[in-house]
Amino acid sequence: MDTTISVSGLVKTFGATRALDGLDLEVRSGEVHGFLGPNGAGKSTTIRVLLGLLRADAGTVRLFDGDPWADAVALHRRLAYVPGDVTLWPGITGGEAIDLLGRLQGGLDPARRAALLERFDLDPRKRARTYSKGNRQKVALVAALASDAELYVLDEPTSGLDPLMEALFQDEVRRLRSEGRTVLLSSHILAEAEALCDRVSIIRHGRTVQSGSLSELRHLTRTSVAVETVRPVTGLAGLPGVHDLRSDEGRVRFDVDSDALDAVVRRLSGFGIRSLTSAPPTLEELFLRHYGQEPVEDRLVRTPEEVRS
Amino acid sequence: MSAPHTSLTGTGTLLRFALRRDRLRLPIWVAAGALLVATQSVSSQALYDSPADLAAYEASVGSNAATIALAGPPVGLDTVAGAVAFEISAFVVLVAALMAVFTTSRHSRADEEAGRTELVRATRVGRHAPLLAAVLTAAIACVATAVAIGAAATATGLPAGGSFLLGASVGAAGLVFTALTAVVAQVTGSTRATHGIVGAGLAVAFVLRAVGDVEGNRLVWTSPIGWAQATHPYSDDRWWPLLLCLAATAALTGLAVALLDRRDLGAGLVAPRPGPPAAARALLSPLGLALRLQRGALAGWTIGLVLLGLVYGGLAESVETLFADNPEARAFLPDAASLVDAYLATTSATTALLAAAYAVSAVLRARGEEAAGRAEPLLAAAVSRPAWLGSHATVALLGSAVVLLASGATTAAVRAAATGDGAEFGRLLAATAAYVPAVWVVAGVALALFGLLPRAATATAWAAVAYVAVTTLFAESFDWPAWVDDLSPLAWTPTVPVEEWQAAPLAVLIAVAAGLLALGLGGFRRRDLLTG
Repeated sequence: MDTTISVSGLVKTFGATRALDGLDLEVRSGEVHGFLGPNGAGKSTTIRVLLGLLRADAGTVRLFDGDPWADAVALHRRLAYVPGDVTLWPGITGGEAIDLLGRLQGGLDPARRAALLERFDLDPRKRARTYSKGNRQKVALVAALASDAELYVLDEPTSGLDPLMEALFQDEVRRLRSEGRTVLLSSHILAEAEALCDRVSIIRHGRTVQSGSLSELRHLTRTSVAVETVRPVTGLAGLPGVHDLRSDEGRVRFDVDSDALDAVVRRLSGFGIRSLTSAPPTLEELFLRHYGQEPVEDRLVRTPEEVRS
Repeated sequence: MSAPHTSLTGTGTLLRFALRRDRLRLPIWVAAGALLVATQSVSSQALYDSPADLAAYEASVGSNAATIALAGPPVGLDTVAGAVAFEISAFVVLVAALMAVFTTSRHSRADEEAGRTELVRATRVGRHAPLLAAVLTAAIACVATAVAIGAAATATGLPAGGSFLLGASVGAAGLVFTALTAVVAQVTGSTRATHGIVGAGLAVAFVLRAVGDVEGNRLVWTSPIGWAQATHPYSDDRWWPLLLCLAATAALTGLAVALLDRRDLGAGLVAPRPGPPAAARALLSPLGLALRLQRGALAGWTIGLVLLGLVYGGLAESVETLFADNPEARAFLPDAASLVDAYLATTSATTALLAAAYAVSAVLRARGEEAAGRAEPLLAAAVSRPAWLGSHATVALLGSAVVLLASGATTAAVRAAATGDGAEFGRLLAATAAYVPAVWVVAGVALALFGLLPRAATATAWAAVAYVAVTTLFAESFDWPAWVDDLSPLAWTPTVPVEEWQAAPLAVLIAVAAGLLALGLGGFRRRDLLTG
């Protein structure tokens, strides 16, 4: 299988801070790869190393079989990038910025540019200084999505977008995937990764702690449920996949593995549900539950053979 | 609720916070002003230690239009203290004014542009508090400068009364520019535009004063710098002109507050217009973008220096008139024609200094872009590091040459017209053209610093400009060893038309500039991109 991005043992320090501490990442050609981790885990630093903006202190980094530091310009012709924190030139309009970035990335499809502006409801005549955070994000997204690249590097591209735009964005990523493009999607929202990604890598404190397909990761995802019933709920503790069961005065709270949700809800309906709220776990909760405060080393799930394949 | 909340609530807290943020910057500005005065005081006392020396000095500068245009009214030159005030007051006023402009805009429009004011205003802080805290911060710095200059001059042996009047006049001019900045920061929506407009105002104030002093007319009273210098420290010791400064400060601050009440947070008074929905072909390259980003500044500097060239050319007439009116001067000075040449050599050097300041600001634009994260999307596209930095370097190098030559050509044209001698144009244009390599060396220093010491580049590059400025302007009046002057590239430039054209030093300067450019490009290639 072709590999577009291959990183192993990547180390990057800023003074006394060790931002990346032996990070591994493998992105196969044609897949949408989720790059997950809480804030400050090192996602943006990794991406900046991949783009040759920062120099690796140790480890090997390959992008399209090239060295991202030495061959930056040649490699950049083949990719499009959306930064996590989009800053634009205050006096330049959104339309001008899209054209400039698109041109420097290797050319834009004018028809797609027009369609994306329409879909994302973005006024290209406004100067960047008057754009909101979400609109700046859209400028970078339109520039990237309207260009014809092999690899799309998207660093938390939906932060600042409203749910409608988020849905549009997901459509666009599915389109890229159907066209056989490779996407590296960094995010701290697990639901977004679940909706889009073939495989994910989860990092924390500058190291990869999980890497694999979504079904392999499925066991990590639990839904938090709070339910109020007419009659006291019984027999829940015995069901597989139910964790941390607590009850007080007719209310029951628990976490449930995603694949056990169906059985649990069927069980609950027998007691007369008054109200039910369920929340997918945030990545932060997931980390707290799975990795707690223990040293990461003890919990590392490293599969170097797979990463370096 | 414990205390009533007014539009000023929180001013004290914000003021303390602003002083905390500037705990290093402001003392440096204040010390720079005091140090200039102290150095001038010590140097002048050493140079004019006999009455004969002082008399010669009085006769020569009293009839030298170039010195008067740069320095101020030629009064009180019969004492060493008066000579000190004459030599240094204009320059410390400039230092204080720049300190006031940058401090005020940093705590008003810059904070607002970055969204920090929004964060602050959402707390228990009154509408006027952030602006007044900014004004007060700059005002405290002006008062500190006044006291420091007074103390420095007194400590180096000058009369205390005149010393503190000199300090107060410098501080009072700073106050006017503080309030002017506060007004402009309400009108425009960007820090860059604020600096541009107030900078132009400062230049106009300086030119009005220069023309007024050389012509000896009332034009000086239209300029806040003129008011400050009308105090005549150590001779007439007049305090009343400072009332003009205080009145202007109060009126402008009131205007700023009134304008603040008439606009939205984050906006200026002028609403932004919609722009083109698609980019023109000329924008679609790193150089196209650099030109677009820097064209406003380049146009502003060009217009400013062309106007200055016009004034310099016009004042050359006065050099001859003053000389003719002053028989004693003939004992100390050569004939009128060479006096005009000496004057034009001086104006070329000061124009070159301004062009060097422009070049450094253009180079540092690259650092600003990098720190703001706006280099990242370009360098993540198919743009190499040398191509990106090269685009800003091109604007800086060619732009500074344009600025310098446009100014020099204007002076040369004015002189050619006045003397009716067409050959004057080429001769005088050559005088400014000779400075292009030296200006490029200063730009090269900024480029090398950008590549090698990015975080310190802004501060050190401006320190280099300040060094070149001090050595150029005070080479003769400060009693320094020769090597101090020799470190400045401007010192290596032949002072045409007084000296002959020489290709060799200019070739060396160009080689040095090229080496510094290579250092900058090489350093940038090897280092991390530094955002923030």
